[in-house]
Amino acid sequence: MLRSVFRSSRVLIGLTIVGILVVCAIFAPLIAPHDPNEQNLVSILLPPAWSEGGDPSFLLGTDSLGRDVLSRLIFGARVAMTVAVLASLGAMIVGAVLAYIAGYFGGRIDALIGRAVDVWMSFPPVILSLILMVGLGVGLRNVIFAIVAVDWTRFCRVIRSEVLVVRRKDYIAAAQLMGFSHPRVIVKEIVPATLPLLITLLSMEMGIAVIVEAILSFVGMSVSANTPAWGQMVADARQTIYEAPWNLFLPIFAIFLAVLGFNILGDGLRRTLDVRLIARGRT
Amino acid sequence: MSILAVDNLEVSARIGTARIPVVSGLGFTLQRGSVLGVVGESGAGKSMIGRAIAQILPQGFSVTGGLSFLGQDLIGMPAEQRRMLLGRDIAFVPQEPLSGLNPVLTIGAQIDEHLARLGIGAKRARRDYALDMLNAVRLPRPADILGKYAHQLSGGMCQRVLIAMAFASRPKLLIADEPTTALDVTTQSRIVELIRDLQRSEGTSVIFITHDLRLAADISDQVLVLYAGRLAEYGPAKEIFADAAHPYTRCLQLSNPSVHASRIGLYSLPDRMPGISALGSIAGCLFGPRCPNVIDACREKTPRAVSVGEGHDVACIRSDLTARIDPPLRQAIDKKPYGASLLTVESVSKTFSMTSGIFRRTNFQAVRNINFTLQQNEFVGIVGESGSGKSTVARLLCGLETATEGKLVLAGRDVTGGDKVSRQHQRAHIQMVFQDPQSALNPRRSVASIITQAMEAAGQATWRDRLAKAEALLHEVGLPSDAALRFPSELSGGQKQRVNIARALCRAPEILVADEIVSGLDVSVQAQLLNLLLRLRSERSFSMVLISHDLAVVRYLCDRVFVMHKGEFVEAGPTADVFDHPQHPYTESLLAAVPRDFVADAARRDRRNGISPADEIV
Ligand SMILES: Nc1ncnc2c1ncn2[C@@H]1O[C@H](COP(=O)(O)OP(=O)(O)O)[C@@H](O)[C@H]1O
Ligand code: SF4
Ligand SMILES: [Mg+2]
Repeated sequence: MLRSVFRSSRVLIGLTIVGILVVCAIFAPLIAPHDPNEQNLVSILLPPAWSEGGDPSFLLGTDSLGRDVLSRLIFGARVAMTVAVLASLGAMIVGAVLAYIAGYFGGRIDALIGRAVDVWMSFPPVILSLILMVGLGVGLRNVIFAIVAVDWTRFCRVIRSEVLVVRRKDYIAAAQLMGFSHPRVIVKEIVPATLPLLITLLSMEMGIAVIVEAILSFVGMSVSANTPAWGQMVADARQTIYEAPWNLFLPIFAIFLAVLGFNILGDGLRRTLDVRLIARGRT
Repeated sequence: MSILAVDNLEVSARIGTARIPVVSGLGFTLQRGSVLGVVGESGAGKSMIGRAIAQILPQGFSVTGGLSFLGQDLIGMPAEQRRMLLGRDIAFVPQEPLSGLNPVLTIGAQIDEHLARLGIGAKRARRDYALDMLNAVRLPRPADILGKYAHQLSGGMCQRVLIAMAFASRPKLLIADEPTTALDVTTQSRIVELIRDLQRSEGTSVIFITHDLRLAADISDQVLVLYAGRLAEYGPAKEIFADAAHPYTRCLQLSNPSVHASRIGLYSLPDRMPGISALGSIAGCLFGPRCPNVIDACREKTPRAVSVGEGHDVACIRSDLTARIDPPLRQAIDKKPYGASLLTVESVSKTFSMTSGIFRRTNFQAVRNINFTLQQNEFVGIVGESGSGKSTVARLLCGLETATEGKLVLAGRDVTGGDKVSRQHQRAHIQMVFQDPQSALNPRRSVASIITQAMEAAGQATWRDRLAKAEALLHEVGLPSDAALRFPSELSGGQKQRVNIARALCRAPEILVADEIVSGLDVSVQAQLLNLLLRLRSERSFSMVLISHDLAVVRYLCDRVFVMHKGEFVEAGPTADVFDHPQHPYTESLLAAVPRDFVADAARRDRRNGISPADEIV
């Protein structure tokens, strides 16, 4: 099963993109040529090095305060990746645990959790996270919290319906008859059956988290202003859009690349893991 | 007049570069208005014949030979002309009802499309016509059904929709592939009745494919018995069943239990029919490796079909000895003396309250006031049609559900409450063999891990202990020990069911609850499993509650039977009494739905002639 996952070109492409971004995030201080907040007021709005008037020491040019765009992009990957990984893991844990409980025990607790999900999902997600951020104040931890609080429902709903399917299999009843306790049945019989779905949802959610973080930092509701973030860079570049369009284009491209990477990875995983699961379950 | 003439038909599969014949050298003619039953174990090529005629073969399969429908060559004719015939003059009801229906269209839309293709009626009139069709197959509330999707209907209902569609064009030939397999007796007899009615009123010819010989004998004029894609025997239905000439036919008959016959032993055909890849390695008669009459001469060349009576052909060189194949004696050892009373069920009821939303509830009483006791070594059966509450009783006994009323006493302990200690007590004494091995075996666990899951639950056991235990249990249920490390997807249906039984035996329970454990399996596999259960009882001593919609299976295994209808036991008593002299009208209707028993007639006749020393232990 694992072998066929790594034979999928989608998975490989996705992993490569995500891998590069993660390396940038982790080793940002080593890779970045400049301090991302260092202002060179003599050389503001420099174009990329290869175009006319570019400076080879600022490979992708500078912004309106003379900060090195490449370094800011590399440091921006830190925020993006941290949020992507932690927020989606958090959303997955909250959503999945509730989904397993609801789907496995059913009855009233299921109705209750289901209702909570419905109510939660009736708010537009971006508005909900904006409201949360206004209430909580800026900061990396709060961004993560806001995304978890909004997106756990996505996991809960999808996984619950999968659990309902698995729950009806006789091997679940058999495990109970063999003397497995309820938590053990969930961990040993149900979780493995939903693992492919979980992994796929997780990588999709990482892409979503990158976008949400970018939107929040675009409106200045994410990390504090002295931490570089891609959404912030887009917001900053708006004023100088005619003089320095690349300042707008580059962070958007970074966001696009991250989302693309996670989505291709998720799609590849869905195709390799899910298809096999379905084929096995049905034949 | 002959509707269909088949001559030297061959269907072959392309595997790599080789062409392997899945069906070979087949010939028969079908007269107008007559019914041909096609019988054999699964994989015999029954479906391939139907699909070859209807020209809907899977990828990579091809047909050669003569196939003429009303004098027109089906294989050679232009595709356009063939399309006109199929669906109009030749109708096909596929084996899986769900695969024959489109999941994303409503039933109404599909019927309408079908009628439009046939050019029947204007849009308005088609709806009325559709309603008439559904009425004719006796589907309740046809107007509702038109608005539903296939997955919202039961298997039997889908089957009837397909039959209705097949009959819409008043075809000259209907091919029905296992239309009744896995349906309960009542629904099954309704569908058979329907095909028969329509066949009589329209003069349709029918090819009826089934693995149930008794059903084939009942409904058909001619029967074709297939083995590994080759004709084993072909002839008049009644003659074949009264006087089987091929050892395979005879063995299939003797492995099929009977509702009416007293309890002779079941013949257990060894092994399985060879798969297509193994066919090449068998010299001479393909049935040779499993044939009780095999001699060296059989291995020399493939026997040709020879006539043994008018329109009765057999491919066997020793067919004169076939009648001497005896059902095995039913050993006295089968039966162990009863011991102490193990289980008492007193006025137990189960009401399900279904939550819809947080506060709304609706109640449904699935089991109503049932009483019974079970003694050590006793096998009791529960019969009834699907939805009568049989499986709920099973789940109550095992503690997967808690009774809403009444009392359950197991080995001297009241376990009604369903608290933790009761549950543990139940688990130590009662285990369950589940109905559908597909769903009962976790596809992600190896066989050894499944069988010894109870040891995993108890903790402590090392993998080596578990493997040793698994191998011992596999041996007991007749599987090779190398099965331990395989996964369920690598096993056949019968083998999966053995694993299912082995798992239930792991904790050496005193009671086994078995829910429909042989439904949908070939008779030969069924006979192997039933005999396995008898052998296990004599070796280990346990009691069993056998739940089945197949009355014959219950008659074969069980000493007492309970007839269940709408959640209640409507009749109870010794199996022979209940089945031979039913008191309750519902029991009568169940028995009436069972096809007439030519096999039992044959066995009785044999006994009269002193050929078969079948003994009786009642
Ligand atoms: N789609 C398929 N691909 C390859 N082999 C198949 C396929 N369908 C059936 N077979 C093989 O063809 C043979 C005859 O199958 P089938 O006609 O379905 O038997 P039956 O209907 O009697 O159970 C079997 O050996 C089976 O394994
Ligand atoms: S030819 Fe021989 S092996 Fe084949 S069925 Fe007849 S007796 Fe058996
Ligand atoms: Mg078939």
